[in-house]
Amino acid sequence: MPKQEIDASELYDLSLSIVGLVLSEGDQRVEELAQRFSVSEKVILKAVRAITDSEDLTKCVTHFHLNFDEFEDGWISFAKGSTNLEGPPVLSKRQLSSIAIGLDYLASIPQFASNPALAELRKMLKNSGPVPITTVAASRLSDLLEQLQSAISSEKTIICDYRNQKGEQSQRKIDPLLIELRGKKHYLRGWCHINQEVRSFRLDRMQAIQITDEPIAKQSQVAAIPDEVFGSNLDEKIVVLSAQPEATEIFWNFPGASEPVLEKGRWVGKIRVGSLAGLPRHIIRYGGMVEVLEPKEARTMVAALARQILADTDPKDED
Amino acid sequence: MASQTPAERLFTLTCCLLAAPRIGLSKQDIFNSVAGYSEANNDEARDKMFERDKSELRNAGVHLEVIQIDEFEPEVGSRYLISKGSFEWPADFKLSAEQIGLAELAARAWNNQQFAASARTALARLKSRGMVEVNRELSFLSPRLLAKHSAFEPLAQAIAESRTVIFEYRVPDGDAEAREVNPLKLRLIEGEWVLLAERQSTLKNYLLRRITSKVRETGATFSFSNLELIKEAEAELVRFTQSNRAVIHVDEDSEAWWHFGAESGEVEINYMDESLLAEDLLEYGSEVKVVSPASLAQRVRNGLERVARIHA
Repeated sequence: MPKQEIDASELYDLSLSIVGLVLSEGDQRVEELAQRFSVSEKVILKAVRAITDSEDLTKCVTHFHLNFDEFEDGWISFAKGSTNLEGPPVLSKRQLSSIAIGLDYLASIPQFASNPALAELRKMLKNSGPVPITTVAASRLSDLLEQLQSAISSEKTIICDYRNQKGEQSQRKIDPLLIELRGKKHYLRGWCHINQEVRSFRLDRMQAIQITDEPIAKQSQVAAIPDEVFGSNLDEKIVVLSAQPEATEIFWNFPGASEPVLEKGRWVGKIRVGSLAGLPRHIIRYGGMVEVLEPKEARTMVAALARQILADTDPKDED
Repeated sequence: MASQTPAERLFTLTCCLLAAPRIGLSKQDIFNSVAGYSEANNDEARDKMFERDKSELRNAGVHLEVIQIDEFEPEVGSRYLISKGSFEWPADFKLSAEQIGLAELAARAWNNQQFAASARTALARLKSRGMVEVNRELSFLSPRLLAKHSAFEPLAQAIAESRTVIFEYRVPDGDAEAREVNPLKLRLIEGEWVLLAERQSTLKNYLLRRITSKVRETGATFSFSNLELIKEAEAELVRFTQSNRAVIHVDEDSEAWWHFGAESGEVEINYMDESLLAEDLLEYGSEVKVVSPASLAQRVRNGLERVARIHA
C-alpha cells in the first residue's frame, strides 16, 4: 500500500492502534511501525505525540509516560499513566463490513475458496456465510494463478499465446507484475515486450504459458502500473452511449471521455475505445440495454454483428 | 501546553471519558480537562467542536453513553462516559500473519474512498492485535472492489446506522417498483454487488444494478441481530445457484471454449441469475449456443434481436 498522509480521524485511530501494539507487544521502532501501518514515519510521530502529550488538566495527570531515552534512539516506548485505555476499540460496524466484504470477495476466488486461515478469519469476524461460486473453469484458473504467482515471485519473463479482443492470436513475451481481480474478470498486468509498455492481459485469453529463465527487464521493475485496465492507444475513438441504469457499468469498464449524465431515465456519456472493432461484443453483452448513439459506423457494426450471431445460432439451422 | 490538533483532542477526550466516574462527566468537566477545547474562540464554537468530536467517536465505533441528570434542562444535565464494552475484544481474538495478510488484501481492494479509509483503520486495529511478521506471499494479487453504483454509499451508511431505506427496483422483464427494506449486508458476488435486506420479515437479495432510483432513508430505524438468519439466507443463495443449471455448446478452441473451461463441446454452468448469465453468453456471440434451459436460449435471442433493432 502506498504511504500516504492521513486525516484527523484516521490519525486518532492510528494512535489507538499504536497504544494497543506497544502495550501488548512492547517497544517498537518508528520505521517498523511506519511499515506495519503503511504510513510515513512522520505520521507515526504525530500519532505518538497524541498519545504521549495527552493529559487531564482537571486531575493534573498524564495518560501515558514516554521513555525519552528510548525515543531519542528511534524507539517508541511508553507506559500507562493514569488511564484505562489499553488499545483500540473493537471494529465499528462500518470497519467490520469494509473488511468483511473484501474477505467475502476473496472467498469467492477459487484460489482462496478452501483456505483455512480465511475461513477462520471470517468466522472470527462473524461473517462466515457461504459464498456461491459459479466461476466456470475454476480449476484452470487456479492452475493459471499458481503458475503466474510463481513467475511473478521469481521475477521471470513468460511466453504465452494471447488472443486480443479482436480475436487475433499472437505469441507474447510478458514480464508479469501483478494479477488484478476485477469482478469476474482476472487480468495479468505486465510489461509487454512487443508494445514496450505495461498492458493488461485477460487470463481467460492466455494459453500455453511457459516461464522462461530470463529475468524480467529493468524497465518493467520500475514501471508504474496504471489504474485503468484498458491501456492508451494512439487510434483511440470516442463513442457516445446511452445505457439503462442496469447497465451503467459499461461506463466504468472503459476510460471515460465525459461523465455520464441522466437523461430521461438513461445514462448518456462518452467512452474512449482503442478500436471500434472490439466494441460491438461489449454492447451486445447488454442485450439492448446499451445503445451506441455515435459514431454511425459503430452503430452499423453493432447491428451487423447482432444479425450475424442471430443467423449463426438460428435453431432452424440444426438437423 | 502547545495547542492540540483535532486528533490529539479526540485522543485525550477518549482517555478522559474512559476514566469518568459512573455518573459520567459534564460538558463543562470535559472542557476543563481536555486542553483542545480552550482553543475555541467562543462558547458556540466550543460546543460545535464537541458535537463534531462526539460524532467522530461514534463513527469510530466508540459507544458514548449520555446520562440525563436533569430532565428539564437536558443540555445542562447531560453527562457523558464511554462504556468499556466498546474496547473489549474477545479474549482469543489474535490473528496469524497469514490472516493479517488476507485482511490487508481485503482492505486494499477498495477503490471507494470512504470504504478504503474505514478498511485502513480497521486493518490498523487488527494489526495491533496480530502477528508482527510481514506476509509477502499475497503481494502479487490485487483484488479490486469497484463500488461505483450510486446506491452503494447510501446503503452502506444505512447498514452502519440500521436505518430503513426505500428505493425503486426493476426485475428483468418487469417494471420498477418501490421496495422498503431494512438493509443488512453488502457483498460482491461474481462481480455483482448484492444487498441482503429484510423486507416484510423475509430476507431477500437485491442486485444493486437493478436499483433504478435514489436510495432514500424513511426515517425509521430497525434492530436486527440474528446472524444465524443471515447465514441461512446466504446458504439459501448458494443452494439456489447450484440448482440453476444451464447447458451450453461452445465452439472448439474458440475464446468461449477457454473462458468456460470446456473439455468437450458441452459445458454445464450454475448461475445465480438467468439474465446475468445471458449477458456473459452474449459476449461470446456465435461461439456459444444455449442447449438448455429454453428460457435462457429465448432470453439470449431476444437480447440479440433487441440490439439489432435499436441499432438499425
